Amino acid sequence: MLDFIQVAHAATEAAAVEAETGVLGTLGINWKLFLAQLLNFGVVLFVLNRYVFTPVGKKLEERRLKIEKALQDAEDIEKEKQEFEKWKSEAVAAANKKASEIVTLAQNEASKEKSEALLKTKQEQEQVVRQAKSKIEEEKKKSVQEAKGEIAGMVTTATEKILKEKITDKKDKELIEKTVKAITE
Amino acid sequence: MLLAIPPLQAETLFNIGPLPITNSYVNTTLATIVFIVVAFFVQRGIKKYYTKNVAPKGFLNFLEALVEYMFGYLDQVTADRKKSLKFLPFIGGFFFFILFANWLGLMPGTGSIYMWGMHHGEVHMLPVFRPSNTDLNMTLAMAVLAVATSHLFGIAAIGFFRYLNKFIKLGDLYKAIISFNPVKILTAIVEFFVGIIEIFSEVAKMVSLSLRLYGNVFAGEVLLTVLAGLVAVFVPLPFIALEILVGLIQATVFSMLTLVYFNMATMEHGGHDSDHEHVETSKEEPVRTPTI
Repeated sequence: MLDFIQVAHAATEAAAVEAETGVLGTLGINWKLFLAQLLNFGVVLFVLNRYVFTPVGKKLEERRLKIEKALQDAEDIEKEKQEFEKWKSEAVAAANKKASEIVTLAQNEASKEKSEALLKTKQEQEQVVRQAKSKIEEEKKKSVQEAKGEIAGMVTTATEKILKEKITDKKDKELIEKTVKAITE
Repeated sequence: MLLAIPPLQAETLFNIGPLPITNSYVNTTLATIVFIVVAFFVQRGIKKYYTKNVAPKGFLNFLEALVEYMFGYLDQVTADRKKSLKFLPFIGGFFFFILFANWLGLMPGTGSIYMWGMHHGEVHMLPVFRPSNTDLNMTLAMAVLAVATSHLFGIAAIGFFRYLNKFIKLGDLYKAIISFNPVKILTAIVEFFVGIIEIFSEVAKMVSLSLRLYGNVFAGEVLLTVLAGLVAVFVPLPFIALEILVGLIQATVFSMLTLVYFNMATMEHGGHDSDHEHVETSKEEPVRTPTI
C-alpha cells in the first residue's frame, strides 16, 4: 500500500515536472546541448565526407569505370580480331582462287602458243620441202632438156660419121651397139 | 540503490561556460575524436596509395570493401550511380557514427564508472559514460540534420521553386485554374492541402527518426542495467549480443530511411501532367512504404 502511494506520488511529481518544462524538457531536450551535439555530429559528418567517403567513393567509381572500359575494350578487340580473321581467311581464299585461275590461264595460253608454233614450223617445213621439190623438178627438167639437146647433137654427128664410113652388116651392128652404148652412157 | 535505472535524460556532469556537459555528450565527443583519428589515417592511406595508383592494403582496403557494399545498397534505392556517389558520404556518416556510438555504449564502463556530480540540486553519483544515442538531443540533432540535408539535396536537384511547389502547390493550382477544367481545379485544391500535410510529415520524419533511435538504444541500456543489477555475470551476455544486433539494426534503419528521404527529395514529383503522374506515383509507392 505504501508502495502504491509512493508510485502515485512519483507520478504526480513527474506530471509537475512535465508541466514545468513540457514534454521536451522531460525527454531532456536542451537547446544548448542540442546545438553542441549537432556541432559534434556535424564535425563527424564533415570529416568523413571530406576525408573518407568522397575520395574513396570517387576512387571506387573511377576504378569501376576503368574496369568497365577495359572489359569493353577487350571485347571490342576480340570482335575486331574475329573480323580480321574472317577477312584474312576470305582474302587468302580469294587470292588462292585468283592464283589458280592465273596459272590455268597461263597454262592454256602456253599450250595454245606451243601448238601454234608447232603448226607454223610444220607449215614452214612443208613449204621448204615443196620449194626444194619444185626446184629439183626444175633442175631435172633443165638437165633433161640439156641432155636431150646434147644427145641430139651426138646422134647427128654419129650419124654423120656412120654415113661417111662404109657401112657393112658387121659394122652396122657394131655401130648400133656403139651408139646405144654411147647413149646409155 | 540496487537498481540504478538510467533516467530518461542524460545527466549533467559539469558545465563548461553555458554548456552543460552530460555523460552522453562525453560519449559523443569520444566517438567524434575516434572518427577524426580514423579519418586522419584514411587520409594518410589515400595519400600513400591513391596518388601512386597502387592497390590499397590494410584498413583502406577494408574500407573500400565496405564502401563498395554500401554502393550496392544505395544503387538499389537510387538506381543511379551518380546520385549514390552524392549520397554516400552522408549515409555512410550516419550509419558508421550511429553504429560506432551504439557499440561504444556497450563497452564495459558505460554506466558503471561513476563520479560525484550535481543532479537536480543534489550531489549524486553519476555515470561518466552513457551511450550517446540515449540522449534525445543527439538523435534529434542527427534527425534534423538528415531531414535538412534531404531538403538541400532536393533544392539542388530540381531547383528552389519547383521544390517549394512540392509543399506549397501554388504553381499547380495556378496551372489548374488556367486550364478551366473543373476536375483539374478540384484535384489541384485537394493536392494543395496534401502539400500542406507534407510539411507536417517533414516534422514527423524528424520526430520518428530521433525517437526511434533514442527509444531503442535507451531501452537496451535500461535492459542491460536491470539485468546487470539482478545477475551480474553470464546472464546479461545474450542480451549484450542482442544489443550489438540492435545497434547495427538501428544504424541501418536510420541510414536507410535517410537514404529514402534523400531519394524522395531529389525525385521530380509528377503533377504537371496527369498521365505522367500516374506512372510516377506507381513507381514511387514501394519507396514510400518503409516505416520501421
